[in-house]
Amino acid sequence: MRKLLSIVLLLLFYLFSQAQDSIITKASPGSNKFIVYGNAEMSYISNSDSKNFGEVNFKPIFLWRISPKLFVEAEVEIETGEGSVNLGLEYANMCYAVNSYLILHAGRFLPKFGAYRGRLAEGFMNRFASKPTGFGDGGIGASVETGVGALGVLPFGNLKVLYDLYIVNGPHLYEDTLNAGQFDYEAYISNNKTLAVGGRLAILPFDKSNLELGYSYQHKSGTGDLGSPNQNVSLDMQAVDLNYFESLKTIKSILRITGELRHQKVGTNAIYLKPDGETPYSFANSPTAWYMSASIRPALLDNKFFRNLEFAYRYSSYKRPVDAPWGGSDLTSNEFAVDYWLHWNSLVKIAYQSKNEEPKTFYVSFVFGF
Amino acid sequence: MKKIFVTITFIGIFIISGAVMSGCFESSKVAAKSGAQLWGENCNRCHNAPGPGEFNNDNWDIIGTHMQVRANLTKTDVDKITEFLKSANN
Repeated sequence: MRKLLSIVLLLLFYLFSQAQDSIITKASPGSNKFIVYGNAEMSYISNSDSKNFGEVNFKPIFLWRISPKLFVEAEVEIETGEGSVNLGLEYANMCYAVNSYLILHAGRFLPKFGAYRGRLAEGFMNRFASKPTGFGDGGIGASVETGVGALGVLPFGNLKVLYDLYIVNGPHLYEDTLNAGQFDYEAYISNNKTLAVGGRLAILPFDKSNLELGYSYQHKSGTGDLGSPNQNVSLDMQAVDLNYFESLKTIKSILRITGELRHQKVGTNAIYLKPDGETPYSFANSPTAWYMSASIRPALLDNKFFRNLEFAYRYSSYKRPVDAPWGGSDLTSNEFAVDYWLHWNSLVKIAYQSKNEEPKTFYVSFVFGF
Repeated sequence: MKKIFVTITFIGIFIISGAVMSGCFESSKVAAKSGAQLWGENCNRCHNAPGPGEFNNDNWDIIGTHMQVRANLTKTDVDKITEFLKSANN
C-alpha cells in the first residue's frame, strides 16, 4: 500500500512539474469568480399507508474558479425526509487542471462509480420522483468518498475515452444485528488501516457523443472497524452503465435511454451476531441491482405545451442476499412518469410506482433549479 | 490483492501519462466542430442544454470548469462551448 501511495505521489509531483499553461480567460474586473447554483425539491407522496407533503430538499452548489487551473466545488444538502432537518456535506472537492485532458482532485467527492450516482440521479436529470430500487438508501454501490483522484478524457479520432481513478477511505461494514453485511457508503473518515481504490472507464464511440458506455470497479481489502473480527473483510464492487440520447426528427422528439447494473461481493470471512448477541453466523453476500429507463420528449414541436412534456418509464430490480437481516426476496419496481418542464433545469414530475412488497405509490414532485 | 493494486496502478499511469503527453488526437471532423454543435451534443448527454443568455460571461467560465470536472469534458471543448454561450451576451 505504501508503495502504491509513493508511486501516486511521485506521479502527482511529475504531473505538477509538467503542467502546461492553458489559455487564460480573464474574469471581468470586479467579478469574484464565484457562483451559487443548485436546486430545491419537494415531493407529495400518496399510498395506502400515508399521504404526505415531505422530502423538502435544498441543495446549493458553491463554485469557485480561483484561476484557470484551480477550482473548488462544494455542495451542501439540507434535507427533511426523515422528519427533521439534516445538514450534510455532499462534496467539497479541490481540483487542479493539469492540461486539457487531466484534472487532479482531492477532498470529499462523488466518485464516478456508474453514471447514476453523482450525475443522472440529480433532481433535474432523474425523470422520476424516486430512485431505482437498490440504488438509494439500503442499496449498494459507491456514493460519496473522501480521498484523491484523477479524471479526464482522451480523444482518439472520432471517439473519446473518459477516465476516473481514485484512492479513498472506502465504505464501512455495518456489523449491528439490523444492518449486518450492509455498508456506510458516505462515511466521512476511515475506520481502519486500508484504503479503497477504484475508477471508471467509459467510451463515447460516436463523434456526436450521444452514446456513453461505462465500466466501474472499486476494491477495499478491509471494511470492518479496526480491531473487530471483520477488519479484513473485503468488498469488490463493479458497475456497467449506459447513457444514450437521440433526436428523432420524424416524430420531433428526443429519446433518452439510461441503464446501470451494479454488483458487489463481500468477503466470505465476515461473521455477524444474531439478535441474541451471542450466536455467530454468516451468509453469502453478493447483491446485484440494475435499472433501465426510457423517456421521450416531443421537444422539437412548435406547440409550447406539448414540447415541454416528457413521458418516462423505468424498471429496476434488486437481488438481495437471502439470509441477510436486510435481505430476502428480489425487489422489482415499475415506474411511470409524466414530467412537465418549466425551465431547462426545473420541472414537475407526476409519477406512479408499483413495487413488490410495498404499496403502490403516487408521487408529485417539484424540482426547481437555480 | 497486490495484483489488483499493481494492475490499477499501471492502468492509471498509462492513462495519465497518455493525457500528459498530449499525444491524444482528434479526427479533423471532431476538431472542426463549432461551439454550438459541441454545446448541443455534450450538454444533452446528461441534461437539457441551458440556453445562451442564461448566465453572464464570468459565470459561464465557472460553470464550464464545473462541467469539465463533472462530465469529463476536454478544456478545448469547454472553451468552445463557453465562447458560443457568451456570444449571446455580447
